[in-house]
Amino acid sequence: MSKYMINKLMRAIEMSDSAVVAYVGDTEAFVDAWLAGGAGPDSVTDDRALTPEERAAFIARDEAELYRLGAHPYLLWHFIEAVWVHEVPWPDLNERYREAVRPHGYPDYVC
Amino acid sequence: MAQLVMAAATPHNPLLWRTMHEPMPDDLRGVADNFALIGRTMRELGVDVIVEVGTDHVRQFYSDNCPAFIIGKADSYHGTFENEVRTFGMEYCEVQGHRELADHIAGRTVLTDAIDFAVSHEWRLDHGFIIPLAYTTPDFDIPVVPIHVNATLPPLPRPERFAVLGRHIAESVRTWESDARVALLTSGHMATEIGGPRQFMGAGSPDPDFDRDAVRWFRDGDLEAAIAGCTYERIMAAGNVTYQHVNIIAALAAMDGRPADLAEATESRYASSPFFLWRNA
Repeated sequence: MSKYMINKLMRAIEMSDSAVVAYVGDTEAFVDAWLAGGAGPDSVTDDRALTPEERAAFIARDEAELYRLGAHPYLLWHFIEAVWVHEVPWPDLNERYREAVRPHGYPDYVC
Repeated sequence: MAQLVMAAATPHNPLLWRTMHEPMPDDLRGVADNFALIGRTMRELGVDVIVEVGTDHVRQFYSDNCPAFIIGKADSYHGTFENEVRTFGMEYCEVQGHRELADHIAGRTVLTDAIDFAVSHEWRLDHGFIIPLAYTTPDFDIPVVPIHVNATLPPLPRPERFAVLGRHIAESVRTWESDARVALLTSGHMATEIGGPRQFMGAGSPDPDFDRDAVRWFRDGDLEAAIAGCTYERIMAAGNVTYQHVNIIAALAAMDGRPADLAEATESRYASSPFFLWRNA
């Protein structure tokens, strides 16, 4: 599990309009490019890594799976809202989200 | 000496920014009226500086560097982030800081023995700080000392520490050699869920029992009950982002635990909104 990196990637996407557009445009390319980035001699430690199931959940924009894997709920909702809202009307997205996460209760998201 | 002339608590729900406009929707009229009341009180009492206790929503402070308590020492602050402009329709703004009071609260050379603040000279304020200011001081014409308390990324400060924070702010104002009139503005939640299976389920609270208890603590000035009622487990059972409610304990403690002049969980299409007000002059 790498909850910290799940949250870090969600946050990196959601906080930038251009990142949202790039991610939605090609989720796999965006995620893999992000994973390939990271620490260098002049930057802080940044060992970006996701498990295969975490990577797959990002590529699928799968809110239920990310929730189950321990994404921080606040960050997850705003991430999902950002990357789906142009395709699913907000009320429907909200309802879909609730139904998707309900079976998982309240997973441990502390990282 | 400076004087703490009032304390207040408001919501900071950014969805209000898209919906709370004239003609005012009936269900938001109470929220708008209470924001207006607190803003009017600031003007009536001649507030010169606002100490604002709030919680950044993982925008400025993430898990790579997340302080429990941090105070702003900047001369000015940019308001809101790109994602909040996109999602909530908020507008960029500038907020004037107040370095002298920030120094006095934080301790200039040695940390206060009450709260061990981190400090920030470079801080972009998110909706947790901007929304209360935008509705109470829409011209952003009163300098602000922002204090972020981590209520989002566990481990979280215990409720007792918020009482200590409130008392420390009150004492700092009392001992500040200035004729300034100071307001303490806190922002937080009643029972609220975001990102969990109970989010945005229509009008009403995800935990009305918690909201009733919480209003009673502040209406009656029962600081001990407020602290005892805000265990992590109880608050999280009320909704997964409810922990920001404890910011309001700082206001109650700063007012020496006396009953609030206004204590209300104002209902709307969103989760109930906290509105608490103490006049101290």
